[in-house]
Amino acid sequence: MPSSTAFTRRGFVTTSAGVAGAIAAMPLLSACGSSASASGSGVTNSNTVKTVIPTYKASDAVTADIPSVTGINGAASDPAFLNFPATPVKSVTGTIGSGGTYKAVTPVWGSVPPAGNSYYQAVNAAIGATLNENPSDGNNYATMLSTLFASGNIPDWLDVPGWNTAAIQNFSEGVEKYFKDLTPYLAGDKSLDYPNLAAIPSTGWSAGVWNGKLYGIPLWVSSASFAGMVFYRADIFKTAGIDASTITSADALKALGAELTVKSKGQYAFDDLGTFLYQVFNIPVSSGVGFTKDSSGNFVSKYEMPEFVEMLSFASSLSTSGYVHPSAIAGDSADAKSRFWAGKTVITADGTGAWNKADAQSGASASPSYERQGFKVFSFDGSTPKIGLEAGASMFSYLNKNLSDAQVKEVLNIANYLAAPFGSAEYLVARYGTEGTDYTMTSSGPTLTAEGNKVVTDTFDQLANCQAVTFNAGYNQITQDYAAWQADAVAHAYKPLFWAMNITEPSSTSKATTALESVITDVRLGRKTVTDYQNALTTWKSQAGNTLRTFYEGVAKQYGTGN
Amino acid sequence: MAAITTQEAEASTQRRRLGVGRAKAKGPKQQRLNWRIRLRRDKTLLLMCLPALILIVLFNYLPMAGIIIAFENYDIYQGLIHSQFVGLANFQEALTDPGFWQAFQNTLVIAAVQLVLYFPIPIVLALLVNTILSPRIKSFIQAIVFLPHFFSYVLVITMFQEFLGGAGVLNVFLNKHGISSWNIMTDPGTFKYLVTAQAVWKEAGWGLIVFLAALAAIDNSLYEAAAVDGAGRWRRMRHITLPGLRGIVVLMLVLRLGNALSVGFEQMLIQRQAVGASAADVLDTYSYIYSGLGGGFGGTTSIGGSYSYGAAVGVFKGVLSLVLILSANKIAHMFGEDGLYRR
Repeated sequence: MPSSTAFTRRGFVTTSAGVAGAIAAMPLLSACGSSASASGSGVTNSNTVKTVIPTYKASDAVTADIPSVTGINGAASDPAFLNFPATPVKSVTGTIGSGGTYKAVTPVWGSVPPAGNSYYQAVNAAIGATLNENPSDGNNYATMLSTLFASGNIPDWLDVPGWNTAAIQNFSEGVEKYFKDLTPYLAGDKSLDYPNLAAIPSTGWSAGVWNGKLYGIPLWVSSASFAGMVFYRADIFKTAGIDASTITSADALKALGAELTVKSKGQYAFDDLGTFLYQVFNIPVSSGVGFTKDSSGNFVSKYEMPEFVEMLSFASSLSTSGYVHPSAIAGDSADAKSRFWAGKTVITADGTGAWNKADAQSGASASPSYERQGFKVFSFDGSTPKIGLEAGASMFSYLNKNLSDAQVKEVLNIANYLAAPFGSAEYLVARYGTEGTDYTMTSSGPTLTAEGNKVVTDTFDQLANCQAVTFNAGYNQITQDYAAWQADAVAHAYKPLFWAMNITEPSSTSKATTALESVITDVRLGRKTVTDYQNALTTWKSQAGNTLRTFYEGVAKQYGTGN
Repeated sequence: MAAITTQEAEASTQRRRLGVGRAKAKGPKQQRLNWRIRLRRDKTLLLMCLPALILIVLFNYLPMAGIIIAFENYDIYQGLIHSQFVGLANFQEALTDPGFWQAFQNTLVIAAVQLVLYFPIPIVLALLVNTILSPRIKSFIQAIVFLPHFFSYVLVITMFQEFLGGAGVLNVFLNKHGISSWNIMTDPGTFKYLVTAQAVWKEAGWGLIVFLAALAAIDNSLYEAAAVDGAGRWRRMRHITLPGLRGIVVLMLVLRLGNALSVGFEQMLIQRQAVGASAADVLDTYSYIYSGLGGGFGGTTSIGGSYSYGAAVGVFKGVLSLVLILSANKIAHMFGEDGLYRR
């Protein structure tokens, strides 16, 4: 029975199941058999996690221009760089690959670079092995993965974004069936053989542990991972004489609607702010339903929180007031960035990653005075704001179980190379290819050539990379502003209940949740009313909510709450 | 010229198709022939059918074994054989789900609207195009009305959005002049007409082909004789053209009914976010989204689902379509038409 129920975990669970290591499919709750039981695979006790992950040993290769700021609840901003180190140091010595050939599959957003290009050649030459990169469209990656898992045709090295695992049925079962256990290679001090991997903060590694074993290599690890923020066009604000620092409540935000919407110019105050409003309304952001405790200590889902209704009526009032761009209401989220760049929308919401150099360039080509800024975190009622932390890594790469011992070591050596810290010589090769062909060194750092722009994209760094840093060559203002935003956010960070425990809920509940989410979209975009939502919520509670409540109570009892 | 050739080819295909049925039904002498002799006689024809047959078996019939997952609690790691068998539980779950009935209702409503508003248009178009005498103008017009068929729905919907959407040409114009905007693209109430309009724009020209072929198959001497007898344009249309088209219209209607439950998967999925699930969910999209494959599409959040459940909905739709096509065929026979095959 336990295998048919679904308490699987993607990413990490700091708390958990039974005995270290050997708990694969052991029922973890005595009440197995019911669909709501938290039995199952995947979960690991926090003490076990500590024993299987690599020992953290920070890299001293480069020093950040803006050092990391430590916040509260374990949050810390990313180190930021204003210049690329003039003399890149070497962080890897000795031979790396031994001539092996491996097939790698990673997601790519944008066009797929041609096979065998100069960048691939440069990296393959540097690592002394052949990585056959097969980038696959990131937007349809989940569909590709579920087919891959169903067929069992797993490549040697596979990137699996955490947000895609829900589409793969019983992912934790698949992890054990298809992926290599890396514990014998990386646990504790063994990782010191791979110093660049050991320099990845533990918060990321813990997320790669399943069933008491280390499987995933974490990517883009950050101690300041937040869902995103509400952005505004600073240049338009300036022209309109609006001081963004006065926007510290939902009402203040809404008041901008009338001021910034100029229909005759095709300018609307807002894009669809979507789930990025969760932070403003103190709703925990998490994968799955998101359960939390109310003031009397009972488990409630985010849907049942009074703040959720507040948020929906807020979003709905924006949509029906005519201050939201009509294309956003028509569900066209793909063009949200273009609308923002062109000044068709003034306030939008996006992931934190949207604030970068490429964005500034695209924006400036649409509106010459373009400037993106993020609102400092604020709370809907003007009270002290808080922002929920996410797991330290949301993407992982896994090795195929069929790789031999020697092959695993070779691939880990390659991973160690790819994870070279920012500013090192290896980083230059891994991220930029060959100097002269793919990039040139300028005063602001490595700059891609015309050829480089065609072929260099996130491919190898979707297999292994160093801790996230902030660097925007030649756009230091962005780096400074973003670092400042992070420094403020980490001071307001909190860990939501079940933080970083990527829990796959009983599949029997997903249908009702999907249906409820459809209603939420309708309400948010002004097609249905809050009353419709409340009716749908009642249905949801009886079909899924109460089952999930029991499930999460079981999880908390057995594995803790991740805090 | 090319277009005319196509018509002729289509027409002859059509005649052959009907003719084959006739020969089978009407040939008592041939039926008495030994199968071996018939095999030898038709060897070439049978060989020519073989590749198509292999394709159909390989890609249509063989995968049907997958239907079994509709009766299982399918687990991708266990496979088809070892997954837990649950009988009709998935069907039961679907039939008790209001969302399923909503999708079913949407499917029927959209199918009905399309039947009334879409189906006659290619016929009328064919009659109009057929009156054009200059072959050059005729093929020019045909080329223009065919063209949208080759656009994907993504493109068609984008074009509709650019013209009629909230930020499209029409509404920008209205806003500039202080007139309230008209949100046809996001109105769940009129969505059924919107998708029908899109279907007409995209497919009506293509649907024309088969009717033009049927028109070309009508014997010209009938018109000549009628004209000699003094029949005017309308009487020729009523007594020659329309009866000549009747067989093919009925055949298309039967096929249309059989396909009634497929009302445009892509079209609905793309516009689901714009009008919401309660207007845009049809059986096909419902099956896709709740199987967990559609996570992230059409505004769904990626929270997984069950392949088995999606498959059950798909099987339900398939069975119903079969019933529909057989009954439509039966009705066609009752009216003395050929339908799919001649009795």
